[in-house]
Amino acid sequence: MTPPFTTFEARNLVKDLGELGMKVMRGAENVTSVDDIDVGTAPRDLIYQEDKLSLYHYKAQGKTTSKVPVLIVYALVNRPYMLDLQPDRSIIRNLLGHGVDVYLVDWGYPTKEDMYITLDDYISGYLNNCVDVIRERANVDKINIMGICQGGTFSTIYSALYPQKINNLVTLVTPIDFSTKDGLLFSWAKNLNVDNLAKTYRVIPGDFLNSGFLMLMPFTLNIRKYVDIIDTLEDKDKLLNFLRMEKWIFDSPGQVGECLRQFIKDCYQENKLVKGKLQLGDKTVNLKNITMPLLNIYANADHLVPPASTKPLNDYVGTKDKTLYEFKGGHIGVFVGSKSQKELAPAIATWLQERDTPTPRVKAKPAAAPKATATVVEKKPAAAPKAKAAVAEKKPAAATAAKAKPKAAAKKK
Amino acid sequence: MNTTTDYLETWFKTQETITKSWLDSSKKMQEAFTGSGKVGADTDIFNLYSSWTKPIFDSLGKGKGISEDTVKETMSKVFGSTNAYARLYEIWLPLFKAIQDKSFNPDTWKDTLDPAKYQEVMNKVWGFNPEALEEFNKQASRLAEMFGKNAEQFANPWSEAITKNIAAAPQFFEGHPESIMNSFHNLFRAFDSTVGTAFHVPQMGKDREKVELVLRWLDDLAVYTAKNTEYQHVMYATGQAAMEKVIEAVAQKIKEGTEVKDFSEFFNLWIDLNEKTFYALFQTDEFSKLQGQVLDASLNVRQHFFKLMELYLYDFPVALRSEMDDLYKTVYELKKKVKSLEKQLKNKVGQEVGA
Repeated sequence: MTPPFTTFEARNLVKDLGELGMKVMRGAENVTSVDDIDVGTAPRDLIYQEDKLSLYHYKAQGKTTSKVPVLIVYALVNRPYMLDLQPDRSIIRNLLGHGVDVYLVDWGYPTKEDMYITLDDYISGYLNNCVDVIRERANVDKINIMGICQGGTFSTIYSALYPQKINNLVTLVTPIDFSTKDGLLFSWAKNLNVDNLAKTYRVIPGDFLNSGFLMLMPFTLNIRKYVDIIDTLEDKDKLLNFLRMEKWIFDSPGQVGECLRQFIKDCYQENKLVKGKLQLGDKTVNLKNITMPLLNIYANADHLVPPASTKPLNDYVGTKDKTLYEFKGGHIGVFVGSKSQKELAPAIATWLQERDTPTPRVKAKPAAAPKATATVVEKKPAAAPKAKAAVAEKKPAAATAAKAKPKAAAKKK
Repeated sequence: MNTTTDYLETWFKTQETITKSWLDSSKKMQEAFTGSGKVGADTDIFNLYSSWTKPIFDSLGKGKGISEDTVKETMSKVFGSTNAYARLYEIWLPLFKAIQDKSFNPDTWKDTLDPAKYQEVMNKVWGFNPEALEEFNKQASRLAEMFGKNAEQFANPWSEAITKNIAAAPQFFEGHPESIMNSFHNLFRAFDSTVGTAFHVPQMGKDREKVELVLRWLDDLAVYTAKNTEYQHVMYATGQAAMEKVIEAVAQKIKEGTEVKDFSEFFNLWIDLNEKTFYALFQTDEFSKLQGQVLDASLNVRQHFFKLMELYLYDFPVALRSEMDDLYKTVYELKKKVKSLEKQLKNKVGQEVGA
């Protein structure tokens, strides 16, 4: 058979590839003039630090109308400035603009020093301390918690363990039921020897996880994206938008081996959360304890956390006030897409405002000789030391403490 | 970039280099095409685009041009991707010509597709780096040799054998990844159970430990090499299958009278069909298992290497990894204790104030 082609027009190759090269050259001035890629610019105060963790309180934009503050809990993977990527793509600014009082946990960048931190330390330690700090500052007994992706799983677990501290739970693209085969990450995690991974690295490099994320859409994320950007190199605003996203994608903190080990094994491999078998320290996580209102947001085209993993949360919680919100788009679109800014963020603000019932701080009945290992204590607010007594709470596992709590609650202001 | 002068200087030098590269490439291109004119006849033509982009990126990335790390990394990826794009273009162009000439035949085109060239596109997508693997193997050989010598020659024959095996590994790769793994395993077992225990191996102490670790490490390395080869083979084969689907799709379009009109359309078709084909592979339990095995094998190599390093550094006044782990554990436990005591104290103070 005769070969289908024996010659071709070299001029075409020269012309087309030459044009591609010239586009790069024309964009060179824009590229070289970028000295800094600004992200996370909404004004905020650092109000609490513990080890690598930082807790921020955002400055109000106009009048804060909500009485119950919301704590945003981002995933350990990637950085939380995705929620304030740039002024016109910022869920945080959007919520502030709707009068919501916003706090944010920044987990920081763990180093090998942090290699022994457990899932329990993150949730019953760091997260619980942040919640207590906000309760004191805002002078409320319960706050709202809004968890993103893995941060949503953390928030869900936290709400199940400490329901007495949470007014409303909002979850965004949050994996709950890990038995699904819809998402590749869920399938791949099943055959991951995470014990060996944690033992080898101690703190697993962010690049390791990134390579897994890129594998989900390899041709689009490794080739097409960078070829397409050439057309917009000459437009500095578009270039900066692209670079902000690039910065976020590859700004990946390492993952503490011990915590990741438990998260992968207990959730991805054994699906213990929905089975009611997840153990944190001496506590078992029971999703039925989630009796506060729930807003569960999923993205219908989410390739990282598929709807099959997020939607079932509503079937397992104990509350009757539960809302399932479908966002039409993908995982990242939830944070930065135009629909996110126009529809989703206002919808969250409205949902919270409809349930904006503050629970004032209460005086505690002084506990008699609390056990050191079984007591969580709140510090007094510095501004009003004499007005309110600290509240001593026993862990949910301690039956006597659970019974004692209503007595304390009776002394509401 | 510090000043406008710097920028202009960089720009000028870039232009100069590009012009030179352009002239050289054009000359080579003409030579290439005055030969048989067939794709693959001369590799020079295929370096055309990278000869363009490399000097651009070199000049932009040498500190004078780009000062922000994210921009540097992004531009590196842009150039890397456009090189893969250009490779694909080289595959596309004769195809386009054949479509125009009405001589397109999908079966023949598949036969004439240069696998080596397509492999380069795949390497870019998956980040495979054959040169890095080769260098890795060379280093492993050198390390094996070094350990062999340090262990007073006793392991040299074995070390030499394993070094040769590593060097020969690529020849085993073609379709028989398990065979090389087994060859290493067998060698290791034979040594470990016979010569290793009976003759020259030091009876005890750190030397014995070192030797055993070297053997274990090389064994791990062999398993990793074999598994990684199997993994890459699956990826290349899937890439090839995807390319065949692309050609079939092109043929179908011609049949339907809606032929692909330009490279952009071909590129999008290629991306979409590849994503679909690889997604189907990635969804399988077999792939998930293989991926897990490759990772596990690489982790074993890493772990034994770290242990070896510790043994060799043991006598030096440096903090070892395992010692730091112990220290971190102590710090972690102390921190927890301090936090717990602080809370108890605050609780007590709070109770006194509230009483």
